[in-house]
Amino acid sequence: MFSMRTLKTSEAATLLNVSPNTLRAWERRFGYPQPQRSAGRHRLYTHGEVAALRDALGQGLSISSAVSRAREALSTDTHTLVGALARFELDRADSAMESALALRSLERSVEEVLLPSLDELDDRYGIDSAPWALAARWADGWLRRAQRLVPPPVRPHAILVGDATRNELDPEALGVRALELFCGRSGARVVALPVSGVSGLADVVESLSPDAVVIAGSHLPDDDVALWAYRVRAAAGPLPTALFRRARHDAKLRTTGTRVLSDAPFAAHRQLLALIDGRDATRLHDVPALCALGEEVDRHEAHV
Amino acid sequence: MRRLRALRSVEVDDRGLELVAFCGHCGQAPPGPQPSRVCGHCGLGLVLRASSDVAPRNGEPFLVIDSTLSVCAVSAEAEELLGIDETTAVNRHIADFLVPADANAPSSDNLLALLVVAASGGGAPRTAVVRPRTEFGVRFRVRIGSCGPPHAALLVLAA
Repeated sequence: MFSMRTLKTSEAATLLNVSPNTLRAWERRFGYPQPQRSAGRHRLYTHGEVAALRDALGQGLSISSAVSRAREALSTDTHTLVGALARFELDRADSAMESALALRSLERSVEEVLLPSLDELDDRYGIDSAPWALAARWADGWLRRAQRLVPPPVRPHAILVGDATRNELDPEALGVRALELFCGRSGARVVALPVSGVSGLADVVESLSPDAVVIAGSHLPDDDVALWAYRVRAAAGPLPTALFRRARHDAKLRTTGTRVLSDAPFAAHRQLLALIDGRDATRLHDVPALCALGEEVDRHEAHV
Repeated sequence: MRRLRALRSVEVDDRGLELVAFCGHCGQAPPGPQPSRVCGHCGLGLVLRASSDVAPRNGEPFLVIDSTLSVCAVSAEAEELLGIDETTAVNRHIADFLVPADANAPSSDNLLALLVVAASGGGAPRTAVVRPRTEFGVRFRVRIGSCGPPHAALLVLAA
């Protein structure tokens, strides 16, 4: 389901009939093709991007216009997905994602095709509409299917996600599912629990032994989140804590070491893994965070 | 048999003038036969062809415009001269950057008409006077002709 052909720099350069240096110069000047990195930090180009550029170069008048045309060709997946979901054609929506995956990594397919398509449907119909409900349920199902195909964890890390979204129709929920998926694909063990359920939480936390806690979503109020965070802290002790897509509540928060992750799931998952590894934590948004939450937790502790 | 070393084959346009190749970014002629259209000197432009009386010479700045009058390429010298960046100029209308500045021209649409004709691959090279859209004290004499492939208008700002 998630196979994607990638090319090394030399292979991509050969396909385009240019030198590897030229390819790197294009990356700097035009931001395209945009390679991923292998485990050894080598560039890996997606075949679809390179092939689209090769076709565009044949008919172009400049590299810039060819890049623009290649980008346009790749963006057709988003248009196709939006069109399919707007017409309630779920099979066609599945096909659109399959096409996207042929050209991009799963992470980029989610961030560049799936999430923007849902954003557009949100703008077009609103989250109280039937088209949004159908599209959001389809996207939620797609992301959960992808999660089931994630290989077993290889990192020694475990992440506990406190899900503060309303339900799968909450626009933030898809971002949270994407974050879980990306962390899982990076080899971490991820468990998401609703913030509203604290009964038996200590048993789960003790069993999971999380290395970090993420509070994701902005639907539930700080009081609920604080109670949940208190129970987690009581069971596992102090842990690195991060907020994801809880923007509505950021302004009230003061620092207790909690970090605010990027709203983009891929960037957020990298920041989260860095936070756990204890490296590069300064790259996280240095927003002084969590205070209403910290104060609430302290208050709960005082009561106890 | 005597060897004729001085002879070489040349491509000519429909007026019998030699077609010369140049890079759409650095303006240099390609170093030799190339496996691709990408310039072997700078790697940042595609090799285009134009009649020898239109093609840029000696580092003259130039722009390439398609039949919808959208900018398709901006040479490195033109980027510097006009203070624009090719990556942001591409796909924008030429009138966002250059406008007619010849008071004696028959109409203000003259420049655009010349560009449309040149972009369709027809007509002899013409000249016009233009100015940057946001500058009133600067004028450039330009040569306008065809280039490609595919067909496009070449606007060379004369030195």
